[in-house]
Amino acid sequence: MIRTPQDLKTYRNELKKAIENAFLRDTLDNFSSAYKESRAAAFAGMDLESLVREIARSKDASVSGLEELFLTFKVHAESAGIQVHSAGNASEANAVICDIARSHGVRNIIKSKSMTAEETFLNDALEKKGMHVTETDLGEWIIQQRREGPSHMVMPAIHLSRGQVAELFTRVTGSYQNPDDISEMVRTARKLLRKAYFEADMGISGANFAIADSGTIGIVTNEGNARLVTTLPPVHVALIGYDKLVPDLKTALRILEVLPKNATGQIISTYVSWISGANECAPGPKGFKEMHIVFLDNGRLALARNPMFRQALRCIRCGACANVCPIYRLVGGHNYGHVYIGAIGLILTYFYHGKNNARAIVQNCLNCQTCKGICPAGIDLPFLIKEVYRTVLKEDRKRPMKNMLLSKALKNRKRFHFLLRKAALAQKPLRKDAHFIRHLPLFFIKEQHFRSLPALAPIPFRDQWERLFVPLENPRFRVAVFGGCLVDFVYPEQGRALLELFKAYHVSAEYPTDQTCCGLPALMTGEKDTAQELAIQNTRAMRASEFDFVLTLCASCGSHIKENYPKLFGDQPDVCEEVSKLSNKLIDFSSFMVDVLEVRREDFTDTTSKATYHAPCHLCRGLGVVDAPKSLMTSAGLDCLPMEKEDVCCGLGGSYSFDFPEISAQLLQEKLDNAEASGAEILLTDCPGCVLQLRGGVNAQKRNLRVQHLVEAVAERKKKDT
Amino acid sequence: MATQARQEEGHLLALKMKARAEAAQIHVSETANIGKAFHYTVDLAKHRGGSTIAAPGLPASAEAHFRELCEPKGLTLLTGNLRSHMSHIHTGFTVADWGISETGTIVLDSSSEDIRIATTLCEIHVAALPRSRIRPDAYSLEGDLDPLMKQAPRFLAFISGASRTADIERVLTIGVHGPLEVHLLIMDDEDAS
Repeated sequence: MIRTPQDLKTYRNELKKAIENAFLRDTLDNFSSAYKESRAAAFAGMDLESLVREIARSKDASVSGLEELFLTFKVHAESAGIQVHSAGNASEANAVICDIARSHGVRNIIKSKSMTAEETFLNDALEKKGMHVTETDLGEWIIQQRREGPSHMVMPAIHLSRGQVAELFTRVTGSYQNPDDISEMVRTARKLLRKAYFEADMGISGANFAIADSGTIGIVTNEGNARLVTTLPPVHVALIGYDKLVPDLKTALRILEVLPKNATGQIISTYVSWISGANECAPGPKGFKEMHIVFLDNGRLALARNPMFRQALRCIRCGACANVCPIYRLVGGHNYGHVYIGAIGLILTYFYHGKNNARAIVQNCLNCQTCKGICPAGIDLPFLIKEVYRTVLKEDRKRPMKNMLLSKALKNRKRFHFLLRKAALAQKPLRKDAHFIRHLPLFFIKEQHFRSLPALAPIPFRDQWERLFVPLENPRFRVAVFGGCLVDFVYPEQGRALLELFKAYHVSAEYPTDQTCCGLPALMTGEKDTAQELAIQNTRAMRASEFDFVLTLCASCGSHIKENYPKLFGDQPDVCEEVSKLSNKLIDFSSFMVDVLEVRREDFTDTTSKATYHAPCHLCRGLGVVDAPKSLMTSAGLDCLPMEKEDVCCGLGGSYSFDFPEISAQLLQEKLDNAEASGAEILLTDCPGCVLQLRGGVNAQKRNLRVQHLVEAVAERKKKDT
Repeated sequence: MATQARQEEGHLLALKMKARAEAAQIHVSETANIGKAFHYTVDLAKHRGGSTIAAPGLPASAEAHFRELCEPKGLTLLTGNLRSHMSHIHTGFTVADWGISETGTIVLDSSSEDIRIATTLCEIHVAALPRSRIRPDAYSLEGDLDPLMKQAPRFLAFISGASRTADIERVLTIGVHGPLEVHLLIMDDEDAS
């Protein structure tokens, strides 16, 4: 029985337990590394980007016509002897299948893997009616015996050790199984399951495709169990979500081209069975199979009409969003979804299993964008996760206090900046030194002690600006600087370093002082209205049309402005166009230095330093900037030593690190361990948020690393005479 | 010239087919004709200690020839009504309809129940594939498969290796449900009789 925590407190306790499970962590860690390599090899030489676009396009086309596709499918399938049913929800689907079983006097059922049947808890329903169900996919069989749900959509038993599996086999077979002989366990399962196949009166499968123009279903497996399930018993029932409908074979083949590669890094799964009509089956009526297909709605048709969320139906169930998720890697699928696992699971849980099951888990997202980058259907998973969170808050009518305070503070820039200035004064007695707060105020409980928090700067950048401003004649470029709250109020020295470089390269800078928080923190806490207001305020403040570029040192602000500003106004074309004026001019620091200014090695001092680089989520994935920072480091004489997992999140995720400190601490620990292992003395990154997290970690853990924003390291090395 | 170019292309497809199939743990051999493929199958079944070969769907003359090869070796050739032999099929022999070189996939029209039983419940599956039936990718078969799907009932199978699982600690293990070994024989000519 699956029990998903419905409040944050219970959920965090579960997470703490999971983090302590060393086996789980090692397994998922190894899997995640191996997956990355095999996936890259499987896609080698292919134009993945255009494949993703094509799949997104064709799935969108299917999703917009699911009901017509269903009718077309039904006509073809029925003329080929299949009985087609439609079920509005899970219990209807289960009832239809129980009825089919009862009308054929079925006692024993074999099943091949079906996430849709997991979704409806079909086995429970059949067992209640006295039927005996045997899962035949090995992983599913194992978790069925343990009465658990899957912990991964493709590898349902990945959370179990060979020892646990051997123990289970010993219990079920009554004879000892050696945990180190996996082949022998598989042979045992083969024997056990053969018997179940021969005794079964009915087979139940899912399907990966339902091809409308021929009434064909396609089933993909590695084990070959679906071929036996659909061949041996006289009755076959396939339970399929409406979202699996595709118009034709070509569309199915395109998905098949990507599915195994993205799921497990295999070029192709071992078996693909294409079943059209009720096939030959000796014990069936008149020598043919009694075949039924049950299409499950359970919210899909409404989802297909929802302009925001419909893209979730593009999902082809490859499970990759879990494979790469840094949180999944730490806590496993049983703590990262309800029935559906991973990023897509956080979204679908709300729609298929209700807000109570979604409430806690949907908050557990760093917005690191890794899932989005791996999704073969181009689903904007992190954005939808926040939208689900917002919807849950709205339905619960319980906005957390921090949301109300945040929104109230942010909406009025003058008030917000007044509060920050007051806070800078108030923290004086708490300051450890110029940079960190010594004693955290009471509301920061001890879980926050894994990193030191920075002190607010005594004078924010905006108040230093007038003194720093130097007018230039005939500048090479005119650039507006978007500071972001961290550069402005915590790390103004990063802004000053930027201005030094601008001066050296004859670039004119302006700091429009009406700019305010970019709005990302509001969006992340589900406060979309506030995020929209801030987007408009900043667009007006920055006057982008008067400049060649709008540059920001903050990757998070940058990717939010670039990508989310237009998206926030998807349904208001006028506003969308206005905010796009700002988005289109936005550039990050490294790209500006490398691509626009074309800086050279000779511009910098001859000294070299051992450095390594942490790629901020919102730069490498959000803005797609991967090579420029390293190229800039090389030019500036900073040896860029390779660091393992350089593009895995540092664990900040804005307010995430306050809501889920245990996970944040773990990710930070791994990041700093990897940085130290690289042999570097300096850890560079180009996002002040990452600087906050990394520098705070180094300080609290007394590590021997210097953390800098790239702009500081580059400015330090700039020759003064050029 | 055109024939030569076609032959060249066919050769390259077969090479890729072989490489990709081997990468999926399929044992690949080349053979002159179906008679040689029968020999191979008989030797293999005998060598692996089998006592039966299931070979449904062959033309009568080929079936007779196959039986002649089986008998002296003490092997029983099963050609129909395979449900009554389900628990003792050692080797299943089929002639594949197509090959897909990009993925090393054997495409088999399995609409006949006996073909499904012979290839799913056997310990070893031997598929003979005429070289001329190898296609570069799945898309190039769309025009062949689509009409078949529209003539139901139809059960088409893509087979790319032996039955496998990685469900216990992600250790790749062969033979969880279906065949423990798959052999692909690429044949020079298409004469299945």
